[in-house]
Parts: sequence; structure tokens; C-alpha cells
Amino acid sequence: MRTTARSLMCLCAVVAAVTLAIAWEGTTVAAQQRAAAAAKGPRTAWGAPDLQGVWNTNTQVPLERAREYGTRAMMTEAEHAKALADLQARNQRPGRDSREIAGKSGVGTEKDVARAYNEFWFGDKPTRLSYRTSMIVDPPDGRMPAYTPEAARRIADKRDFLAALLQGTSGGRPGPISPRRAERSPDYNLDRINRSDNPEDRGGPERCFGDNLPVTMGTGTFGGVMQIVQSPDSVSIYYDVGQGQGFAWVIPITNRPHLPKSVQMYHGDAIGRWEGDTLVVDVTNFSDETNFRGSRENLHLIQRFRRADANTLQVEFTAEDPTTWTRPWTAMQELERADDKTTLVLEGGCHEGNYGLLGMLLNTRAAEKAFAEGKGPDPATQDNATGGGAEN
Amino acid sequence: MRTRLGVSALAVGIIVAICVISYGVIAGQVPTPRSATTPPPARSPQIKRQASGKPDFSGVWQANNTANWDLVTHEAMAARVMQTGAHGLSPVPAAPVLALGAVGGVPPGLGVVEGNVIPYKPEALQKKKDNFDHWLDRDPEIKCYQPGVPRAMYMPYPFQILQGTNKIMMVFEYANAQRTIHLDQVEPYPNDSWMGHSVGRWEGDTLVVDVTSQIDKTWFDRAGDFHSDALHVVERYRMMTPDAIWYEATIEDPNVFTRPWSIAMPIYRRLEPNAQLMDYRCIEMVEELLYGHLRKQPLVRTWEGQNMTVSVERRIPPPDVLYER
Repeated sequence: MRTTARSLMCLCAVVAAVTLAIAWEGTTVAAQQRAAAAAKGPRTAWGAPDLQGVWNTNTQVPLERAREYGTRAMMTEAEHAKALADLQARNQRPGRDSREIAGKSGVGTEKDVARAYNEFWFGDKPTRLSYRTSMIVDPPDGRMPAYTPEAARRIADKRDFLAALLQGTSGGRPGPISPRRAERSPDYNLDRINRSDNPEDRGGPERCFGDNLPVTMGTGTFGGVMQIVQSPDSVSIYYDVGQGQGFAWVIPITNRPHLPKSVQMYHGDAIGRWEGDTLVVDVTNFSDETNFRGSRENLHLIQRFRRADANTLQVEFTAEDPTTWTRPWTAMQELERADDKTTLVLEGGCHEGNYGLLGMLLNTRAAEKAFAEGKGPDPATQDNATGGGAEN
Repeated sequence: MRTRLGVSALAVGIIVAICVISYGVIAGQVPTPRSATTPPPARSPQIKRQASGKPDFSGVWQANNTANWDLVTHEAMAARVMQTGAHGLSPVPAAPVLALGAVGGVPPGLGVVEGNVIPYKPEALQKKKDNFDHWLDRDPEIKCYQPGVPRAMYMPYPFQILQGTNKIMMVFEYANAQRTIHLDQVEPYPNDSWMGHSVGRWEGDTLVVDVTSQIDKTWFDRAGDFHSDALHVVERYRMMTPDAIWYEATIEDPNVFTRPWSIAMPIYRRLEPNAQLMDYRCIEMVEELLYGHLRKQPLVRTWEGQNMTVSVERRIPPPDVLYER
């Protein structure tokens, strides 16, 4: 009897202790990690899901789905075989090495020069193709949702401005040099525009701003590779996104509120939490100097990172911005584990020795001087913007 | 009966205490940062350790000294850039920093160099003095270049250490610089880089990091102390207290110094309950400095204050000079 009472007391004590402990720990990272420990994937020594390693992809998946697939997220065997044959055929083409512009030799033309890179720099051609028909998994048609009228207007305004700067050049519509060349860009410019009056005229990547979130990995030299390192209270991702545009992104595991809206950060204000095996990161406070497919400071990202299996990291983001898209949308990508002993993720060093930006400004000033002295064409009549685009 | 109840109550208390304490220890509890004014819990006198038993250096840290101004003991200066004063005496702040007054001064500081002497070879010492005299033209920090090691460790900005399983990542608020310390065997680094290649190992509770493959363009401080691409740095990290690291670095570069020399300093944990890294994206901040002279229409020509007008005359240095210094 006495024993029973004592046991009961002890049991109460344990229950009380556990209750107390839970209440005490309820708001801490440890509690989240303990919850995470209940799930099954690999664990760090301190019990958190282990996402560490070097991750990249050699498998091509388009962001948006070709309309022929409708709402099907995966290809059939026959479709995959055909798509793979198409990819291999595409790989046989000389690409930029043809030096062709619209089927004719482009050697020495403005566009040829503006392309800058030949095929070598794009690295090994992708030989693998996912069965996934698109990275976008929601909306169900695998395509980005419509822009809001406000965003559509914003994007059209910018397109008009870009076209005006090209008017009268080889890459633009016919006509005189536009007076809009003297105007400021309707947005904080991050595009490749046909003007080099100021460093702000040059595109984001040329100014070493090419490191926006979210990063979707591609194949080849410019495809990107990431390294994840975790500590008990934070997760850090180092992204090498090509052309020296690497960046470190620290995700604190915390339940603090986001920073005041007045604080804008290039990689946003990240707040992470564990949900079972998944790292869920809520990112706000983006900058109006970032541009993710039309969304700027109002972008809200929810990123999810999860080990699908020992060699696969599933990365997902939901992007929402009611000032830009008519609905939130979600994209998913599976990354492969790279050997982190032989795959060193090299540092970005884009700004240190940015001869490209310097050259564009210096050479344009020199061309203006030559034109003023009657020794060359008006730089405003030349196209320095369209040659490096996707048309090749 | 009363005694028995008392004993039981004590037992309850002890069990509760043990459960709570062991729970915290087992779970490796991390206090959740809240607002800047939320009082943090009392700090444990024990250093944090990882499950491996090794000290856990994870956290947000920052040096609190003047090493980034000058590694050796130095007195205060009115400005880093001075010009000759009256009668050739008492130098005064030069034009680019004059308007800053007391804010533009160099704070005094005790040196962090063992023996307080950096053992330059004679010709290298001349270059250091030259660097000092041309600080505004040459210091890579002014251009927002990545700082290299060891300078990254004592810049006046916080940095975060994430101590993972096989890698330690350090992320610096200044310029979003980062370095990865490999605790495992990796391939040799293929070229020189701004933050170098770091390989770490444990000597007891001390983390020893070997840093190689550094480019020759970083400096040690704002006093023109420099190195070549033969730089080899060995760092030692040891926990002094849960909230301070004793940091030592031995610097070897036979092209520049007559012998290895070392620096040492404490680096402190940022104890604010909401400590985190923010953005110091200086790449964009320095565009006017680096490219302003290449604008079609110059923007900054003069500055008009109540007491003075500072006029700016731009020069166009050859590109190699702009970048290679």
C-alpha cells in the first residue's frame, strides 16, 4: 500500500517533470528538434534532421510545364524516351559556337560580341532528364499563375522602356534614337538594358547582384551547387550559382518574429523551424533591389528542405506576393548528393576584379568620345543588350 | 506519516529537478532569441559541447578591439589620412576625411602581435609604409573586397560560426564573406581565393585550422600590413569561457617576413537575445567610389557644408590599377 502510494507519487513527479519540461521547453529549438527526432531520416549528433552535404543536379527539369502534358506531373515512359532523344539531339547542335544569328553567320556582329561566352563556358551538356514535367507542382497545370493587373502593367512598362532603348539599333524596332534614353528606369533596374550611362544601368549579374532567392539549380557550369552546414541553432547554405555569384545564407532556427518591414535584406529575413524531417523556412523582408520573376520587396517565400533518401535532397518553395501573382505557386526540385570530399564549393569572387562592369562603362565613354570627334558610330545606335539572351 | 510525505515531496522535487535539468542537457537546449529587451536566462559557467565531446563554437561572435585599424600597439590619430601641418609640424587630417572630425579618427589600441613587432623584410617594410601612406587608394576593405584570414576574424562586424559534422562554416556580415573549414579529408584547393582554403583538426579542446591558397591582395589591417600569395596561417580556437574564444593565428610568409609571427585576442559572443547577422552589402555601397568617374554625367563633384566645401576631382586610373592594388 505504502509502496503503491510512493510509486504513485513518483509517477506524479515524473508526469509533473515532463509536463514542466515541455512547458519550459515549449518555445525552444530543442522542442522542435525533439519533435523532429520522432521522424525517421538521418540525424545530426544533436538530434536534428541532417541535411548537411554538397548538393547539385545533373538532371534537367524545366520550371514551367509544356502545355502538352496538361496536369500530369510525370512523363510516361514513351514521353520520357522522346524528350531524352530531343535533348540528345539538342546537345549535338553547335549552339553559340555556330556564331550564327538567325541562321546566318553572325561573326563580328554586335550580337556575336554581346554573347560573350562560347559553349565551352556552359560546361558539360546535360544527359539526364527527369520524369518530372516541371518544377512547378502547383498550380496543377505546372505553370506560373497569372500576374495581377498591377504587376502586368509594371512588367509591360519595363518592357516598353527596354524596347525604347533598343529602338533604331540592330536588335530593336526601326526608328530614331528614342528620347527615353534619357529617362530613368521605371523600376530599380536589374535587367540587361541597352545603356551604359551609369553603373545602375547594367544588369544585376553584371553588378554582382545575381544571387537572388530562391535558387533553382540547373545543370552545367551556371547551374549551381550548394553546401549545407548545420549547427544546433542555425542552418547555413552556401550557394555557388555560377559566374562567381556565390552567397552565404544563414537560417536561424527560432520562433522570433520577422524584422520590421522597414528592414530590407537581399536574401530576406529567414526564420527556420523543423517539421518532422523537413526544414521549413519562412522568408520575408526582401528588397526592392531583388527581382524574382517580377516579385520584389513583397515576396514571401516558404522554403522546404527534406532528405527524400540518402542521396536526394528535396527542395521546395512556395512563392506568394499578392501585388504580383494572382495566387501563390509552388515549385519542387530533387537535388543529388555530391561527394563532399572531391566537390569543393568554391567561393564567389564576382566583385573583386569586376572588369566586365568597368569595361562596359569605360568603353562606352571611349566610344562617346570617339563619336564626338567624328571617329565612330553613336554608341546609342549600337545594340549591347540582346546578344547574350536566350535566342541562341 | 508527515515525515513520509515530506520525504515524498522532496523526492518529487529532486525528480522534477533531475528531469528538467537532464532534459535540457540531453536536448542540447538552445535559448530562443526574442526581442532585444527580453532578459536572457542566466549563462551556464560550462562551455557548450557537441555530442562528440568537442567544444561547440556555434554562435554569433565579434572581436572588440582595434586590430583592424592596426595590429600593433598604436596611439590615437586624428585621421588615417593626414597632411603636413603648420611649420611642417603637427599633421592635420587631409581633405577626404577632414569633415568627419572626431568620427573620422583612429582609436588607440593595444597591439595583438606577440612582441608587438611584425618582422618585415626590409623591402617589405618599405611597401607597408607605402601602403599606409596610400591607404585610401589601396586598402581592399575600402573597395568591399573579401577580407581574407585572419582579418575577417577581427573586423568590426559580427560573424556566425556554424559547427557542423564534418565542416564548420563561418559567415561574415561584412560583404557576406564566408569560409568553410573542412574537418574531413578533401581534395587540395585548385587555385588561390580571397578567403583561402581552411582545413581543421582537433588538438584536445583546441580547434587548429590550417589556412592556405590565399590570394595576395588581402591585407591584415588599415595600416597597410600585407602579405604575398605564399601566406600560410595556422589558427587556434579555444574556449576561454562559454562566451569568449581565445583566438591565435600564426602567420608565415617567407616572401614578406623574416620569421613566423603570431597574433592573439579574445573574440566575444554577441549576447543580445536577438543576435543575428544582417546585411552589409558593400558591393553596391562602393559603386560610386569605384565607378563614379565612369558615369556619363558625374554625380559627386562637391560637398557643401556650413563650414566647408569639399570638391572632388575624379581621375581615371588604368583598370589594372583600379583592381590590382
